[in-house]
Amino acid sequence: MTKLTRRELAALLGAGALTSTVRGAQWSPRMLPGVVGLAEASAALGSPLSPETARSAVSGAVSAAVGAANSREAAAQLFRPEDTVGVKVNCLAGRNLSPRVELVEALVDLVAAAGVDRSRIIVFERSSRELRRAGFTLRDQGGPYRCVGTDNDYDSLPQDSGSIGSCFARLVSTQCTALVSFGVVKDHDLSGVSAGMKNWYGVIHNPNKYHDNGCDPYIADVARHPYIRDKLRLTVLDGVIAQFHGGPAYRPGSTFERGLVAARTDQVAAALWAWQVIEAERARRGLPTLDAAGRPVRYLATAARHGLGVADPQRLKLVTA
Amino acid sequence: MRIDRRRMVVLGAAGAAAALCPVTLQAAAGPPRHGGADLPTREASWYKKLDEGRVECQLCPQACTVADLERGMCGVRENRGGTYYTLVHSLACAVHVDPIEKKPFFHVMPGEKAFSFSTAGCNVECKFCQNWELSQFRPEQVQAYDLPPAALVAAAKSNGARLTAATYGEPVVFWEYVRDVATAANAAGLKPTVVSNGFIQEQALRDVLPLLSAVKVDLKAFRDEFYREQVRGKLEPVLKSLQIIRESGVWLEIVVLLVPTLNDSAAEIRDMTKWIAATLGPDVPLHFTRFHPTYRLTELPPTPVATLERAWDIGREAGLHYVYLGNVPGHPGENTVCPKCGGTLIRRMGFQILKNNLKDGACPDCDQRIPGVWT
Repeated sequence: MTKLTRRELAALLGAGALTSTVRGAQWSPRMLPGVVGLAEASAALGSPLSPETARSAVSGAVSAAVGAANSREAAAQLFRPEDTVGVKVNCLAGRNLSPRVELVEALVDLVAAAGVDRSRIIVFERSSRELRRAGFTLRDQGGPYRCVGTDNDYDSLPQDSGSIGSCFARLVSTQCTALVSFGVVKDHDLSGVSAGMKNWYGVIHNPNKYHDNGCDPYIADVARHPYIRDKLRLTVLDGVIAQFHGGPAYRPGSTFERGLVAARTDQVAAALWAWQVIEAERARRGLPTLDAAGRPVRYLATAARHGLGVADPQRLKLVTA
Repeated sequence: MRIDRRRMVVLGAAGAAAALCPVTLQAAAGPPRHGGADLPTREASWYKKLDEGRVECQLCPQACTVADLERGMCGVRENRGGTYYTLVHSLACAVHVDPIEKKPFFHVMPGEKAFSFSTAGCNVECKFCQNWELSQFRPEQVQAYDLPPAALVAAAKSNGARLTAATYGEPVVFWEYVRDVATAANAAGLKPTVVSNGFIQEQALRDVLPLLSAVKVDLKAFRDEFYREQVRGKLEPVLKSLQIIRESGVWLEIVVLLVPTLNDSAAEIRDMTKWIAATLGPDVPLHFTRFHPTYRLTELPPTPVATLERAWDIGREAGLHYVYLGNVPGHPGENTVCPKCGGTLIRRMGFQILKNNLKDGACPDCDQRIPGVWT
């Protein structure tokens, strides 16, 4: 793992060491394997972040993740004005352990800064009920962004991807041209870690079928379907409050104030970073590693083998805002 | 509002029942629930509590360990704060009045109507599932009706059904509902039946079996490899269920869907039919049915009739008395033939009875008793 300042990353980018945003004459999003942008944002459990703090944290983390000087530049490197952007939030655990509304809204502002019309920015989760419980206001039109549950709006036929066969949410398959995974940093009883990749279970109709063997290879198989692999621009993790044990539900006494928002274009590196955060806290509290606890995080290596990103800790580059 | 195929299934089901009995079902069931609405909860009957708020489901052999707010593989049972709930009790997403031959039961009250119902969900994932739009979805993803056991039985009676049938999806995942419907049906003089994959833990099966009049089990194959790769289940627990049902005296029929190249080899069918004859006895009816491409097996062709006929021959060579062919309307393999004199006892065309010569459950020519539930 390497720690870089944003200036150092910019220098690397300038030297062409990392992926360029221009491939020939065609626009493509800037994808930086292994790079994780981090920004501080502290709040106690149940306390909201101020809009300014949320905006600064999201802007800082995303800008750091793509080596941009500011959020407008970062937005332009990730989104086009004609995009329809879906932001998948993971709200299973309710208000205490879901992406904070204020952080999600800060991300919406960043996406809008790329020129994307706010009617084409869609914050979504698998059910309206879970969105409401997490504090989001449902709206299908008007307001600063759309916010909807998939509920029962899935493709009528399943898609095979490796070992899975699933109907995808139509939002993902047909409506959105760009996707963001907005998860939380938390332990998961079966997969070990729930972060940005596990979040994609919420866009298929049958996630309950794919929880055996630590969700491996299923998480990677969902994430490598072209609907996600080809549209994914960014993963953001709310690490203001994280959970080191007892997930995926919120478990009192098992959370800790990590005080970070993380962003990256590499979804595997995102989960790898979340894993490291959880393991560090577990070690600090004298708990066994996730591996020793019987829930090894197998799916990252599988995802890396499929070329979805970096699962090697030595190649992880942390860039602070 | 977009009308998708899952909604159509429900509308079709409700429409069919409503056409037969516009008042009874609708009054009993109330308006349809829409997908995404809060689901009813009832504590599950077969599970145990583990440490840290987790539970272990003891209903089917998947034996899912389920953390708080998560569901088992079936998608219809959820852990909420360390208590395991079924989310589908009394929540029917498909309701039809079918001929009993459609299940298929060929030795159970021929020509009678079975009030058939299902909820969402399944404990396996057959790549060839014919009802995947119900079985492979979660209850909040399909439209459904509140249909408690008493209302279901009342609707069955008013529709002229003499049987109930838990079918379409997988009754194991709504086993508490099956139990309670069976209790109500028995009290009302109806015969409760179940159409299942047989993938269930022994205690759960034994708890409900005495309430049932007949069980049809889909034996998916006779190779564990097929169960693992095409079904995501296991063969051994299904064989165990077949033995338990047979030993209980509850009427049992078996269906095998022959999927080209995957479970249709002569060797496998020979092994299967010999096992059935030796373990369950020659009087258990065995139906070989024709596969049609669907769900995740859309690249395979329908089962050739010749393959079905070969299986028919193998089954009879193994000593089975009642081997049938399904999904081939008009084929002589649909008929019931006396194993003693060879006379045709029941002539069928698809789900229709063309002629029933049985006399008090026996062959009219040689008086051979034909096993089954005839009245």
